[in-house]
Amino acid sequence: MIENSFNRRGFLKVLGWGGATVALSGCGNTSVEDGREFVTSYVQTADYIIPSIGTYFNSTCAQCDAGCGIMGRVREGRVLKLEGNPKSSINNGKMCGLGQAGVQAHYNPDRIREPLLRNGDKGEAIPWGKALELINEKIGGVKAENIAFLTGGVSGHVKALLKNYLDALGSGHHYVYEAVAPSIMRAANRKTYGVEMPRLRLDKAKVVVSFGADFLGAWISPVHFSQQYARFRKADNGERGVLVQVESKMTLTGANADRWLAIRPGTEGILALGLINALAAAGLSVPGDVAAVVREYTTDRVSKDTGVSAEHIGRLAALLKERSPSLVIAGSAAEGYAHGSQNATAIALLNQVLGNVGKTVEAPSSIPFPQMAPSTGNRFALQSLNDNMAQDKVKVLFSYGVNPVFTAPASMKLKENLKKVPFKVVFAHYMDETALEADLVLPLNSALEDWATVMPEYVAEGAQLNIQQPLMEKLYPGTLGMGDILLALLKQRRPDEYKGYEDFYSYLRSAMVSNKGALGGSTTDDDTFWDATLSHGVVKLVSTPVNMSGNVSAKGLVVPGPFAEDSAYPFHLIPAVSASLRDGRNANEPWLQESPDPLTTIVWDSWVEMHPKTAAKLGIVEGDIVEVASRSGAIKAQVYVFTGIHPDVISVPLGYGHEAMGRYAKGVGVNAFKILDPVFDKETGELAMHETRVKVSKAGRRVVIVKDEGPAGGNQMGRKIAVRVSSNKVNLSEEV
Amino acid sequence: MYCFLRFSILLVGLIVSAGSYAVNAAQPLTTADDLGPKVEQPIEFPHDRHAGDAAKGGMQINCMYCHTYARRSIVAGIPPLQKCIGCHQNIESVRETPRIKKLFEYWEAKKAVPWKKVHDLPDFVRFNHERHIQRFVFAQNKPVQEACGYCHGDVKTMTVARRQKPLSMGWCVSCHQKDHPVDATSTKTTHGPNDCWQCHK
Ligand code: SF4
Repeated sequence: MIENSFNRRGFLKVLGWGGATVALSGCGNTSVEDGREFVTSYVQTADYIIPSIGTYFNSTCAQCDAGCGIMGRVREGRVLKLEGNPKSSINNGKMCGLGQAGVQAHYNPDRIREPLLRNGDKGEAIPWGKALELINEKIGGVKAENIAFLTGGVSGHVKALLKNYLDALGSGHHYVYEAVAPSIMRAANRKTYGVEMPRLRLDKAKVVVSFGADFLGAWISPVHFSQQYARFRKADNGERGVLVQVESKMTLTGANADRWLAIRPGTEGILALGLINALAAAGLSVPGDVAAVVREYTTDRVSKDTGVSAEHIGRLAALLKERSPSLVIAGSAAEGYAHGSQNATAIALLNQVLGNVGKTVEAPSSIPFPQMAPSTGNRFALQSLNDNMAQDKVKVLFSYGVNPVFTAPASMKLKENLKKVPFKVVFAHYMDETALEADLVLPLNSALEDWATVMPEYVAEGAQLNIQQPLMEKLYPGTLGMGDILLALLKQRRPDEYKGYEDFYSYLRSAMVSNKGALGGSTTDDDTFWDATLSHGVVKLVSTPVNMSGNVSAKGLVVPGPFAEDSAYPFHLIPAVSASLRDGRNANEPWLQESPDPLTTIVWDSWVEMHPKTAAKLGIVEGDIVEVASRSGAIKAQVYVFTGIHPDVISVPLGYGHEAMGRYAKGVGVNAFKILDPVFDKETGELAMHETRVKVSKAGRRVVIVKDEGPAGGNQMGRKIAVRVSSNKVNLSEEV
Repeated sequence: MYCFLRFSILLVGLIVSAGSYAVNAAQPLTTADDLGPKVEQPIEFPHDRHAGDAAKGGMQINCMYCHTYARRSIVAGIPPLQKCIGCHQNIESVRETPRIKKLFEYWEAKKAVPWKKVHDLPDFVRFNHERHIQRFVFAQNKPVQEACGYCHGDVKTMTVARRQKPLSMGWCVSCHQKDHPVDATSTKTTHGPNDCWQCHK
């Protein structure tokens, strides 16, 4: 339901009339803009700039943290369309739909255009000089340990400047927060492989078993994995890789799998151990201590616990034994529980036993400039900041690149705790939920008009530094880049060190040029090096693979049994991370709201996904508005009945339900973050995203769901577009 | 004598056009009504001085010297200010005239001159300069001013350009239906494309 004031039909009507007027004035003998519109003309221009012909400039996509290289098509000084940069080994010239919408972040009508200072309920526009002076003054009045910087994942020169600024303040309180991040998997990887983010080589695997990792949709570096996946499916030797997806709610990757196994939520670790046991029984050599641990995970028991049939467990084990190397991936669905770390470890153990480490799980490369290496975030960081705020330990708070008021569960009471912070500075593009709480809002340049360097967490080959450069002039003179702001703040603290840099660009250029030897430019002069760097958009760094040192031991690995029934809250809530909305930071880009969810085809709204059996039991049909209530809160949304979900599970996508941010995000759908229960992973302290138990009740109304598919999944009118075979006619013995 | 000659040519032109109008019942060619609005420009640019005949004090500069994009882009484009300055910084004689002073003011402020559009088509029409210039000027060896003049009129006699032709679809088609030789030497003829999508993409 779109609950905000504009009504869709009215909107179309207005558009129709507007269109008609334009069309009329275009007909007949009058040209439309004679004598009214201006012709694009330049003061000075390069020879290759020809009006109406696009010129491409390379930069870096900032829509998600994968850091794909992009090429922006620029015409008449305006960026029109983004493509992938073929020089970037992450995406090799390809892009995803979320990345495409980057232009809408840039041209967005709801961007903040000048610094705003709180005056009661309103924000008053103030000049930058005054804003920066105010920060200086506020910081001078508090102790360094009471200053906190909350950011999303940062890397490159902005990170280096941020660290220098924090050092200059004498405060080390940098909280890196990511609302949706594989942080439990990172911790488990560190333990088992010695590195947080090993390279996964889907292209080398013959079988991939993914425990809820949506690597084709929203997981880590989806464009990169999609390309690997293509090679995995169509290998050079002609052997088609087999993908088995184990999860409780079907993701885009699950929909592409050869076999999709609906598993009882939280029992992924049990299945992994059961598979090791079955493999050992089938003759795979398994170390003694592992064998001892998995012995009790007999196929019968595992089947009973996980809900995956004994037949499928046997078949999966046989497949893994037969085709090597394989690759087993622990995704967000496996790690989202209080025992998420154990699940992830059990899955890593399976990889180890299968001998995949070193073959399809490869060592990443060392990063030559550690001060620019990505700081990855987690939810634990927000929790500790929140605790400190609650205890009045934070007097000045900076927030950049995150929207915690939107993404924090209601049970954290973050909004109340923020009120205890006397001075809050928010760097923002939109007046989002967090910016609304700020005392000072500083408007940022869009990613397409800003300078930065980016070092993505997951790089496919070697180490790489991405260049982010303006593709066009700033749209609004009152915005600034994060690098420029940090530089200005640093000039207040360490004038001698930084006064030589007029702006962030000159800092960046001199920092890069003075290190050109390590950046592959030792034989060229400064200008040539810099021009080449900007024109390529990526710099390959000299690096060597790190040693994967860690080891998985089965000792102490306990995976708890399946969840006990909870009669008050009978269902598990899976907050789904969709390929376009992710954690909701891009929700104000209308293309993303308008592009149908790949599985349900729903647009412009949230939905509650539910298995037909569950729906029948509750007497619910598609379009019923239901209340989904957890111990921490309740939301109301329309039901979508879908077979790709475990009957014990209901799922609501994340990213919807903004109360602010802009015209396209506000009031569309409901915010599933809010009702998450405060359950944490026992080892890492991370919020366990999939632990929330809910109950579902009808709220009375019924709506027609706005979606692309027709009734009954699309009426094919006998055209056999997608051929269906009923399951009792399929010869399962020929299937995976 | 000169005047008379010109007048008679004009007369012949009028009769011919009237004749073709009668025969093809096509849209009228240039009439007084086809003139576009008078467009006021930030600087009253004298096309006649730059492109006009030497006999009338013009410099006879090729249209494509300034509108350099016409042969390689769908738009003819306005030259960057740097091009104007490139010549004018060496022309001392007019340096202090009001228009040139204004020009240098823009240059010193590094601001582009806000020229207004004189010829514009609705957004659903895609007119390609490059195709026409390549065909007429480069393949058929037509004089540049004649080729440009098919649509823009006799710009070399104007100061600020003003639309001279209707630029309506019927008017475009009336020309596209005419046969013309494929290139300067060939006897083979062809006519302009007639497919909807050539212009309505
Ligand atoms: S995966 Fe992320 S970085 Fe890459 S194109 Fe998509 S949104 Fe941009």
